Amino acid sequence: MTRLAHLWDQSRCVACGACIAACNAANFNSEGRENKTWGWLASNIKKVEILKGPRPMLYLIQCQHCDNPPCVMACPTGASYKDVDGLVKIKAELCIGCKYCMVACPYEARWLNEKTGLPTKCMGDECLSRVKAGLDPICVAVCPAGARAFGDIDDPNSKISRRLARSRYVTLLVNKGTRPKFFVVVGP
Amino acid sequence: MELQRREFLKLVGTAAVVSSAFGVVHVASASQQAVASPSGERIVPVMCGACGAGCGLLFVERNGRRYLLPNLEHPQPGMCGRPASALQMWSHPLRLKKPLKKVGDKFVEVDWGTALNEIAAKLKEVVERYGPESVVITRHDIHSWFLPLFQYLVGTPNLIGHEGTCHSGSTAARTTVLGAGAPPTVDPDYENVSYLVLVGRNLDAAMGLVRRLAVARERGVKIVVVDPRAPNIAFGSVEWVPIIPGTDTAFLMAMAYVIINEGLYDADFVKKYTNAPMLIKPDGTPLSGKEVGVEGDYVAWDAADKAPAPLDKAKDPVLVLSEEARQRVGGAWTVWELFVERVSKYPPDVAAKITGVPADTIVRIAREFATARGVIEDGWYAAKNGNDFDTYRLILILNALVGNIDKRGGLCFQESAGFPNVCDPAGPDVVTVTGVKLPAPKAKRLDKLLYPLNTSTFDAVYEAILTGQPYPVKALFMVGTSPLQRDARYQMAVEALKKLELVVAIDIFPHDHIDYAHYVLPDLMFLEREEVTTVRWTLHAAIQKSHKALDPPPGVDARHGPWILMEIIRRAWPDRAKAVGYDERYADPHKFEEWERQLVEAALKKVADRFKVSVDDLKKTLEERGFVVLKKKSYGVRPYKANLGTPTGRVEIYSITALRNKLDPLPDYREPLYTRPKAPDEFYLVSGKDNVVSSHFAFTPNAKYLGDRTVWMNPKDAERLGVKDGDEVELEGIDKGFKARARVRVTNRVREGVLFAYAFLGGRRSSLITERFAYLREGVNPQWFTTGKIEPVVGSAPTNSTVRVRRL
Repeated sequence: MTRLAHLWDQSRCVACGACIAACNAANFNSEGRENKTWGWLASNIKKVEILKGPRPMLYLIQCQHCDNPPCVMACPTGASYKDVDGLVKIKAELCIGCKYCMVACPYEARWLNEKTGLPTKCMGDECLSRVKAGLDPICVAVCPAGARAFGDIDDPNSKISRRLARSRYVTLLVNKGTRPKFFVVVGP
Repeated sequence: MELQRREFLKLVGTAAVVSSAFGVVHVASASQQAVASPSGERIVPVMCGACGAGCGLLFVERNGRRYLLPNLEHPQPGMCGRPASALQMWSHPLRLKKPLKKVGDKFVEVDWGTALNEIAAKLKEVVERYGPESVVITRHDIHSWFLPLFQYLVGTPNLIGHEGTCHSGSTAARTTVLGAGAPPTVDPDYENVSYLVLVGRNLDAAMGLVRRLAVARERGVKIVVVDPRAPNIAFGSVEWVPIIPGTDTAFLMAMAYVIINEGLYDADFVKKYTNAPMLIKPDGTPLSGKEVGVEGDYVAWDAADKAPAPLDKAKDPVLVLSEEARQRVGGAWTVWELFVERVSKYPPDVAAKITGVPADTIVRIAREFATARGVIEDGWYAAKNGNDFDTYRLILILNALVGNIDKRGGLCFQESAGFPNVCDPAGPDVVTVTGVKLPAPKAKRLDKLLYPLNTSTFDAVYEAILTGQPYPVKALFMVGTSPLQRDARYQMAVEALKKLELVVAIDIFPHDHIDYAHYVLPDLMFLEREEVTTVRWTLHAAIQKSHKALDPPPGVDARHGPWILMEIIRRAWPDRAKAVGYDERYADPHKFEEWERQLVEAALKKVADRFKVSVDDLKKTLEERGFVVLKKKSYGVRPYKANLGTPTGRVEIYSITALRNKLDPLPDYREPLYTRPKAPDEFYLVSGKDNVVSSHFAFTPNAKYLGDRTVWMNPKDAERLGVKDGDEVELEGIDKGFKARARVRVTNRVREGVLFAYAFLGGRRSSLITERFAYLREGVNPQWFTTGKIEPVVGSAPTNSTVRVRRL
């Protein structure tokens, strides 16, 4: 089996915004229009700051490519589906724009692209094309801090598997039963 | 092992044999036919121009999409949110599109010929009437290589940059203590550090440094960030030490106190490579050899011969004199004794009261730093409190105390690429890189008359404009810089700009100063032009070529800054232009590229000669890869095998240069140059950057969300004042009385008693900002509140200030 997954290292991230803005450039043609769902730029990655705890803390949130994805379960047309590579994808031609998937996602990782009228999320078309060509998704390719990795967690020799093997990590909202494949490294 | 090596290469980016993620880099510039690689990609090596760091990038066109990637082979690869948003800058609706001329209080579009002819005529008139020194040029990094040629063709000494609110203070410290220059002539060896302390520095650039540091972080290296607010890097696993603004020197003094008292310093290094053993007379001047019958200007006490000896010849120089020895040298003291005495004023409990950092934290960090033989970063964007010179001298001295100068993992000297300046003074003349002699200006640079150890102090120019002293200033060229976001005398600057007879702005965006220009000329952005320059933020000697990736978008009639300036010269003084081989043939911007290339070729020839390589090979590699590494960093050279450029040739704990300039030769904690907050509603207002802030990036739609135009307030202060997140408050400058409104972000990212606002982002005031971009006006420009007082001699103007907060 192949299970492609994302890793984000919270302990190393310098919050430079490269991944967020590069997602905008590569997947949304550097569009300046607002992502109104999130009150954010047109990007599949959002930034959540915890402003009141004992120390500053940041989360980057994007599609978790869940093994048990609620968005796929909620989709009435089969437009949202889990592909054989383990990624959750959208077939735009089947999407009717009902937004059930947006509501179903406990991570609120989907947003409405007003240009297409359809829900959108990580990974964007250019990232999928890059992955198909054997390249890293754009957020991983641009990261200057070594805070991101992407690859097959079923392959013990993949970069992401090796990184996970030597790191402490968490996944988000485990209690939702989604079995997310977005791994948040919190330290070595 | 293999993985580690690959990870290392990925993170560091070296000139070794790594192939790019795309296989062979396929160079295709915009001026050529778009040559597609087999996979349909067009890849162009460029140097980022979104801030001054100049990171190595690849412009990529793939599947009809355009974006930037880090050039991982480059010695200083990017990237951050700024270049990731570069295409938004390129096609931005607010880009300056046509030459503009101020008519009455409105701008009208004019053609290039009209603008250039009128500017040339006025410039000539100003020079004839008031002298060439009445013309001032200011810059940041854009076109900074070329500008001296324009300067000397005009004949003015006054090319005055941004450094007064940036690194003038830390550079004066590097010069006086290490004989080094502007950043990054010395810089931490990030990938090999064992422990890193960042004081007021957050690595918001260059991103190659972040990459190299990631290698060290992989080994678990600890990072300490001393800053009143938590910069973005403090989201990760670093120790953030929220300190009271302006008190860094007291913190560092206490570190030195602990290191000396606990014997954690490298005594061997201190004796051999610093001027600690140097003898100082009771009047504060160095004891000279003549006075005790030995050679040399500087003397130490040699325990081996029980006699004074030249500083560099003493076999066993002592740090502490016996009373008998002291009597024999006329009651002199060693530098070490004076330094220890100075440091003794700041035991950790005293420093804790000044800095607000608990004494045990200071003691622990001092011990960790010294036992790990760590490194403290030496300051870039460092003009914060008007006591910077002391702070950065002490930082350099602390690195020397642990013996960590120019060693693997230490504070290292950069290998020089020897890329020559476009013009250099040579005897009574100035000589261009192509060997043309130009007359040297007769007048002295006006800010240097006031601040002899500065790099630049542009705030002094505003005063000169208003007072006519030391001589009249009548014309100003502002090239790729935003003085009203940058300088510390905002209100004075506005008054001064109104008084000038000729103000020309060359830029890509309508920054605040554009409103005060008589002519606004649209420049090319970094993706649209070629540039060959040094790779700055690497310890290796390297040069790079930024290729042209794109033409300006439709409707943008922008021209290359150097072309604009040479056309002004040609139209004002054709004979001067001819002297440097420039005539009407190059009025065609495409032809101009040929003329500019001959300057670059001459520079490359000098680099090739220096490194004994062929200039053709250099050019070919620059074409194909975008960079050339000329020499890898060699550790352990200065001060071990070669003297430093200080008067004693050593690390100067006791600065002879400071003494000659009537400054305290030893660092000390001095009060900042603003009134401290006293009442419960009074706060420090500190400002700074992060990887999502630069003057140009501020305009992008992405910056609306990635940037932040609020003023940060600690939750405890907010509760005390009854302010909630998102509330609007009024800020009133305690020293200047200036008032403005801003929204508050209640956040744990700022120390109690301190407010933070990003510099360069908020409070934009240009009349050319349209309704769609109205958010650019939100928030404050921290420079509205700064005192404009300037640190003596080193010319550093504090960008921090203090304000009173009123709930609305």
